[in-house]
Amino acid sequence: MREEKDIRDDEIRVIGGSDRPRPTKRYQWLPAAFVAIVAIISIIAWRVVHSKQQPTETEQPESAYFEPQDSLSASMHAVHRHRIGHDVDSLARGFCEIRDTTINDIPLQLFIPHNAEMMLHVGQVNQRDTSIIYVAQAADIRQDNGKIVGAFVLNGEPLAWGLSKKGFCSVIDGKVTIGVAENSQLFEKATERGGYFFRQYPLVKDGVLVENEPKNKSVRRAICDRQGEIFMVESLTKESFHDFAQALVDLGVDQAVYLVGSSAYGWAVDKSGERHEFGENNGYTGRHKMPANTNYIVWKRYE
Amino acid sequence: MKQTGKHLIISTSNDLVRIAPEYIIYIASDGNYSTLVQTDGEMRMLSYQLGQIEKMIALQLDTDGHLFIRIGKSLIINRSYIYYINIAKQKLTLSDTRTFSHTVSASKEALKQLKELLEKEVN
Repeated sequence: MREEKDIRDDEIRVIGGSDRPRPTKRYQWLPAAFVAIVAIISIIAWRVVHSKQQPTETEQPESAYFEPQDSLSASMHAVHRHRIGHDVDSLARGFCEIRDTTINDIPLQLFIPHNAEMMLHVGQVNQRDTSIIYVAQAADIRQDNGKIVGAFVLNGEPLAWGLSKKGFCSVIDGKVTIGVAENSQLFEKATERGGYFFRQYPLVKDGVLVENEPKNKSVRRAICDRQGEIFMVESLTKESFHDFAQALVDLGVDQAVYLVGSSAYGWAVDKSGERHEFGENNGYTGRHKMPANTNYIVWKRYE
Repeated sequence: MKQTGKHLIISTSNDLVRIAPEYIIYIASDGNYSTLVQTDGEMRMLSYQLGQIEKMIALQLDTDGHLFIRIGKSLIINRSYIYYINIAKQKLTLSDTRTFSHTVSASKEALKQLKELLEKEVN
């Protein structure tokens, strides 16, 4: 496949394979005429040969009265995919759509980024950065040594290599991938391509709930992939991992991994530019000292 | 409307879309996924980025892919349906002048280049 170079917003490009010239209209009928002649000769030859043969069993199954077979005809159903987020003009200024819903009596808030890209950030996030439309803590921090729990790649640089949690989320060439695997090649790929990678508790894999060890209840957060639509979810009440993951399954999420929940601080910027904060911002006000490796997923609007 | 006879097939692990190029009006990017807008009014979300769709068009349709034009980072349009370009307002209307009309936005420079491309085809 021919690799296309990146395109800027002020460029256009005619798509197509080889640039060989097209046949002129004058002779465009020639290939069709050739094919038609060959087809006619083939049909005549086939009839001559088969008219002399004895009739044979048909290859098509015949329907039986006493032992009917299941229908052999395959049917295709049109798959209509409905995104949760609204359709937004692709050139509109990026923002985070905030939707409220309730699944299984669990009130959820959905944060759906539009016209934005995701990256990871280590350390305090600049609250004055107007390009940011969503921030939430990503991987956890070890209590004993303050290091990041699980493998972590920041802009191509591996900062941690652990495998204590099987859920992962990567951003490579702008594409967000959420999954569950003990070993993911995306860690190496993120390192090679200047991407991002972190690990967290797996919540949903291929639409199926994944059980986790902790049984306590807390405010839960997750990053989800629902038919290619990437969004974040927060429970507005304290929930167990199980109940939260079940709600995500019932929401139709295909893949989901956890984000740091409880009082972890973050914010989202809606369409009107208003900032909606969640968690406690003690680390930002100076009341508490944040661990140096506190890390975040950060969605920034396209420039 | 020119019919190529070929179909564009966009397959994922879960499903498959097979569509004749002439039924595609445009494909718009939205981050990790793209939205396919069809002549029958359907809009279909595809879990591919626009660059990946562009490669599929080039690979599967070969020279028939010339039917499509990539405009900036966010759009692939079917050139057959280009109806109106307004550079100053950064508007591009795609329409068959009978059943549908969609107006999309693009940069002035990109629209200028598109206008020039169409003018060259006349000459």
